[in-house]
Amino acid sequence: MALPLFLRSIEESSFSTWLRESESPFGFYFVLLFHTFGLALLVGANGLVDLRLLGFSPSIPLAPLRRFFRTMWVGFGINATTGVLLLTAYPTKALTNPVFYAKLIMIGSALWILTKLQKEVFADPTVTEADMMARGASLAKWSLALWLGVISAGRLLAYTFKYILYPF
Amino acid sequence: MNLAHLHLLLNHFPIIGTIVGVGLFLFSLVGKNDDLRRASLIIFAVMALLSLPTFFSGVGAEGAIEKLPGVSEALINRHEGAAILALLFMEITGGLALAGLWQSHKLARPAGWNVVAVVLCSLITVGLMARVGTTGGDVRHPEIWASSNPAVNEGTLGSIVHAFEPSPGKFTKLMTANKYWWAFMMDLHFIGLVMIVGAVGALDLRMLGFAKGLPIASVHRLVPWALAGFAINVTTGVLAFIGMPAYYTYDIAFWMKIFAVLLLGLNAAAFYLTDTFKVVEHMGPGEDAPAPAKIIAASSLILWLAVITLGRYIQLYQSTISSR
Repeated sequence: MALPLFLRSIEESSFSTWLRESESPFGFYFVLLFHTFGLALLVGANGLVDLRLLGFSPSIPLAPLRRFFRTMWVGFGINATTGVLLLTAYPTKALTNPVFYAKLIMIGSALWILTKLQKEVFADPTVTEADMMARGASLAKWSLALWLGVISAGRLLAYTFKYILYPF
Repeated sequence: MNLAHLHLLLNHFPIIGTIVGVGLFLFSLVGKNDDLRRASLIIFAVMALLSLPTFFSGVGAEGAIEKLPGVSEALINRHEGAAILALLFMEITGGLALAGLWQSHKLARPAGWNVVAVVLCSLITVGLMARVGTTGGDVRHPEIWASSNPAVNEGTLGSIVHAFEPSPGKFTKLMTANKYWWAFMMDLHFIGLVMIVGAVGALDLRMLGFAKGLPIASVHRLVPWALAGFAINVTTGVLAFIGMPAYYTYDIAFWMKIFAVLLLGLNAAAFYLTDTFKVVEHMGPGEDAPAPAKIIAASSLILWLAVITLGRYIQLYQSTISSR
């Protein structure tokens, strides 16, 4: 099956070429770095909330953890932006790899759970901690599992590709 | 200064430090002296940390001398295998020491199993470190050779220990033979990163005034998660180094990353071994941490970001250090 030509057009654009080939520390590696920062913010904060909902570190009061949802969304904003840039640099490599689509599906599901946690567990300040934990426990389990899956899929992308660039 | 110089500067610390640590630890048990026990656990943790650059600089030291006349590759390999085994026990001792320090913070006294495990592992480490020292000495000091061919004629005890020492070449091949194994190690390294940043970052941000509704004492309960993440990352990091020693050795970003990790150790010491921790330890919701705690929290955040940054730039900065 022939690969769609738009992949080659993206790769041949001057921006994509610069991202890939520039030896500047502010090129590809800079984008990759911020993708890692975003990961740490998003999964670090979400993982903390998940583990607390599952009963770890029970001395931490739950309600003030609401503040960390903004941290998660900042992390997601960084990673959506840098993710698009990384995709611009290597469109063929990502879009021909099934792992990439698995990663996107898991990100979508994890974000859906994130909004559910925010709306159903943390939005109402009158709910007791026991109630929050009862409502959030199964969401938290899924959230942890999905983020671990996202990280693993992201790492695998570096090692399981079929093409690096559009084949000629 | 080159990597051989760095290796010679560092390599006496783990050998002598663990001997001092074991001595003080045993005295603390006999004299039932808790402060001395904690001090010796801190020594073990510091030695476990310092052993990392000591080990990593060995490959550069090998590169500096391997072409010189009279240098035997077999002797270098024997030294490296001894170093890998000793490093394993050194890091286990360091991990046990941190677990013991956490237990005596939380429960006022460590669990019995921890004391026994520290004694056993630290004694084994002392013995293995002594062997690393002698085999390392054999590489450049023929005047101390016990026989005309020390790599072959080991003596009884040496032969027994040698049977447990990995062959560095085979170990390297094992780490890189399967790309999924490598991907798995890197995956764990990223998960460890998230555990560290999630736990330490939350504590740092709280001390800096973010999410003030959280009591500092309860956020501090997250520290074991960070220690577990750090243990995962030391393990996967060392295995990755063994897998591609030349790649990391001649990379300036790698060395700066290790330096930043050592500075984080210093930062942790500034937090726990001064009054800073005692002052913030019992702070409840809404309370503002004093300036020294904020400075330590800020430098912790900056240093962890630096560690991530330098790690990400290892690939770009490979071959930035001259191999001769």
